[in-house]
Amino acid sequence: MDLIQQTVNGLSLGSVYALIAVGYSLVYSILLFSNFAHGGFLVIGGYICYYALRSLNAGIWLAGAVALIGAGLSAVVVEKLAYKPIRERTSVTLYMLIASMGMSIVIENIFVVTIGGRFRALPPVIPTQSVDILGVATVSAADLLSLATAVVFLVALQLFLSRTKWGLAIRAASYNLRVAGLMGVNVGRLISIVFFVAGLLAAVGGIFLSVKYTLYPQLGSMITTKAFVGAVIGGLGSLPGAVIGSLILGLAEMLAAGYISSQFRDLIVFGLLIVTLIVRPAGLFGKSVGEKV
Amino acid sequence: MRKLLVTLLFVSVFAAGAAFAAEPIKIGYLAALTGDYAAYGQTEVNMAKMVVGDVNKAGGVLGRPLELVIYDTKTRNEDAVNAVRRMIESDKVVAIIGANSSGINIATAPIVDKGKVPQISTVGTNPLVTVDNKGKVRPYSFRICFTDPYQGALAADLAMTTLKKDKAAVLYNVGSDYAHGLREFFVQDYKKLGGQIVADEGYRETDVDFRAQLTKIKNSGANVLFLPGMGKDMALIIKQSQDLGLSNMTIIGADGYGEFMNEIAGDSMKGTYWVNHTYLEDPVMAPIFARYKEVYKDDCKEFVNGTMAYDAAYWLIDAIKRAGKAEGPAIAKALEDTKGLKLNHAVLTINPTDHNPLRKAGIILRVGDDLKAKFYQKVEPK
Amino acid sequence: MDEYVTGIVTLLAVNCIAALGVSLFTGFTGIFTLGHAGYMAIGAYTSAILTVQYDIHWLPAILAGGTLAMIIAYLIGLPTLKLVGDYYTIASLGLGEAIRLVIENWNSVTRGARGYPGIDGYTTLPIAFAFLIVMAIGMFYLVNSNFGRAFKACRDDYVAASLLGFNTARYRVFSLAISGFYCGVSGALLAGFMSFIQPVMFDMAKSTELVSVVVFGGLGSMSGCLIGTTILTLVTELFRPISQYRMLIYGMVLVLVMVLRPEGIMGTNELNRAFFRKLLPRGRAAGEEAQ
Repeated sequence: MDLIQQTVNGLSLGSVYALIAVGYSLVYSILLFSNFAHGGFLVIGGYICYYALRSLNAGIWLAGAVALIGAGLSAVVVEKLAYKPIRERTSVTLYMLIASMGMSIVIENIFVVTIGGRFRALPPVIPTQSVDILGVATVSAADLLSLATAVVFLVALQLFLSRTKWGLAIRAASYNLRVAGLMGVNVGRLISIVFFVAGLLAAVGGIFLSVKYTLYPQLGSMITTKAFVGAVIGGLGSLPGAVIGSLILGLAEMLAAGYISSQFRDLIVFGLLIVTLIVRPAGLFGKSVGEKV
Repeated sequence: MRKLLVTLLFVSVFAAGAAFAAEPIKIGYLAALTGDYAAYGQTEVNMAKMVVGDVNKAGGVLGRPLELVIYDTKTRNEDAVNAVRRMIESDKVVAIIGANSSGINIATAPIVDKGKVPQISTVGTNPLVTVDNKGKVRPYSFRICFTDPYQGALAADLAMTTLKKDKAAVLYNVGSDYAHGLREFFVQDYKKLGGQIVADEGYRETDVDFRAQLTKIKNSGANVLFLPGMGKDMALIIKQSQDLGLSNMTIIGADGYGEFMNEIAGDSMKGTYWVNHTYLEDPVMAPIFARYKEVYKDDCKEFVNGTMAYDAAYWLIDAIKRAGKAEGPAIAKALEDTKGLKLNHAVLTINPTDHNPLRKAGIILRVGDDLKAKFYQKVEPK
Repeated sequence: MDEYVTGIVTLLAVNCIAALGVSLFTGFTGIFTLGHAGYMAIGAYTSAILTVQYDIHWLPAILAGGTLAMIIAYLIGLPTLKLVGDYYTIASLGLGEAIRLVIENWNSVTRGARGYPGIDGYTTLPIAFAFLIVMAIGMFYLVNSNFGRAFKACRDDYVAASLLGFNTARYRVFSLAISGFYCGVSGALLAGFMSFIQPVMFDMAKSTELVSVVVFGGLGSMSGCLIGTTILTLVTELFRPISQYRMLIYGMVLVLVMVLRPEGIMGTNELNRAFFRKLLPRGRAAGEEAQ
């Protein structure tokens, strides 16, 4: 009884991580750097949705759409402002990593300074009553919805990557960006599209997280670190890996909290990260990283 | 002779002028204005500003105007420690009111002690706020509220004797001195009354997902859940407990209650009980709340913090008057010697051996269907 | 001097020591770390517990803090430093957080997440500066010694260095251990300054701060590291009251430095005579050209 409930809890948490981890891995697969500002897109999506709902009195579908597009666009802007100049000058990814940390601080604090750091509860547009699953587990309706939405978006992403021209270009670029460029892909536009998609996915996660846990500027950094660990466990650069790694992480967290101790939860998360990196740095599905010496 | 008289005249005019443009008495106010505890802190600061305004209009204290030096703790102990340091070293305050959190006051206690500036906590209930862990009283730390051994006993009594719930679960914030202490006292007294603790779970300050712990609590067969916390996490716990189908479990909280929790938890707040210091319908406080609404165009939502801040300010002013001078050590002595001071929510007498108020009543509140915390029961100390 | 200003300068000295440690590892050995705040935490808690619980004098307590941090850094480094590039960075993030979480969960010894109050204020301005001067001189000699050259070789071309016979793995671990010592001492001094420590003070944000300061000043430059720390510490402390903007400005500075001048203020140059001489002839030549 208990095990099933905890498993359900874990999967539902993991599905939200998955949405965020996928966007993260997507950027890594192309540009080979960890974009720590990813959490910022999540928060931007959340706030746009909040204001669309509150001030514009829009319905959830319209507000959601606006938030997704807004977050995607902001991701593109961030890329053009902070990463492009560095990328064009040097191939050292370290500098982009530091710049991404800076951007994550900037985005978080722009909200703190302008709107205020106090949490905001979204108007109850997503149903949250508890749902009984066959009498063995109880979930909030919002959790079921977020799981379903995550699946929908991931399937859509998969279709995009496998069936469209740009999807093909992205897959090629994830093997080798430079060669893809030589083959005629407009690299600048490709990167913009990748960031747009990453921002969009993050925003979906952001909206559900805001509904569940209220919206505040630091929401992004907390969850993104966990999603990041999920992406690493699954293998940085691999999209199915990001999803599976996130689900594993969500499960591990819930089971650890349920059966060992709730305080040890975060320790387990980082413990898993370290163990993964020591035993198999490429994660479950990533490309094997060998040392050439 | 005339020159002497003229000089004397000039000097006396100058002296009078100097007395009118008297140097203000600086009082520090330590509160969370941003971050998770902002709702509590903002209310306190608003009340304090109102008091200072009133007092200055009536001529100030000892012929000098009061000046409030406000610092935001950002709900972080580190920033509170820095703020107190600045207040004492840079701003040269003679006393500090705040904070409302036990953890903060425990951290700042050594600093105010060294700086010889008395600090009054509005709602800091952990015993260590005024007494160190060797049992010695902290000469410069004071509080206006009751303490957690008393509060824990009240909560245990409410659960076991009044509401007749014999299996309790506890869910507490491991990062909070307040939660740690209150949990200990509740568990002690609840067991003494014959109750059984069937689940004892913790969470971290930054956690937002409590489903794992709540699932365990659900399976433990508890019929009452005790939440010795404050802030946003409480609201999230209450909401998530309903999500998980725990709506027939009674929830008891303590003085960490805040009306802002309704924003998050909504209907799941109905029927929750809270042990607290005062109640909204108190007729003595009614005119003060009305004035608050007039000045700030908003209800005094966190009425407990508002009341305690208001009374703490008047207590401090009374102490300064009795001390006769606006200096830390003298004010501290006057605070220690407070006996039978009639404030709004209670009559205050301080126990000099531990700087805690004597014979304070506890008020049990219950959140009704309109999501307002209503008076349920008053408990006088034995 | 205003006590508050004294405080800021003391804090500056304490931060410089940690920055020197990180500079050795990231700047001179070329390994990017996001977890060095963990070593500061070890130093801070060791010193705090020794001085408060066991009444030990601050000098051995601080050194004990630094030493424990060094030992743990060494032990951690052995298995993890075989990771390359980004992967070590990610691991360091996990390690820093793991150290902090262990401290947070060890309630009986560290009082856990509530923090450890009541530490004696032993870090005065002269003491902080004494430590800084001694450790800076030590770092200077280290960096210019054979050890230092080995570290720089590992940074500049890891493959070539090992082909030349350097036991690169061993040097990397040494570098980590020494940087751990510096961060540990800095943490211990911080505990004596704040009189209160909490695990959350040593989180990823603190680690990022340490690395940013070094990058800002210039990877591979000791004087740059000190200059960078000074500028950023002053900015953050002076801005603390209007502090909403403080973090925003700090983030923007980080981004701007990376975009405009990723090599940092000093690049790999040191503030010495050669540096000043480089500045002057250019000026003179420009003057001549203008004629």
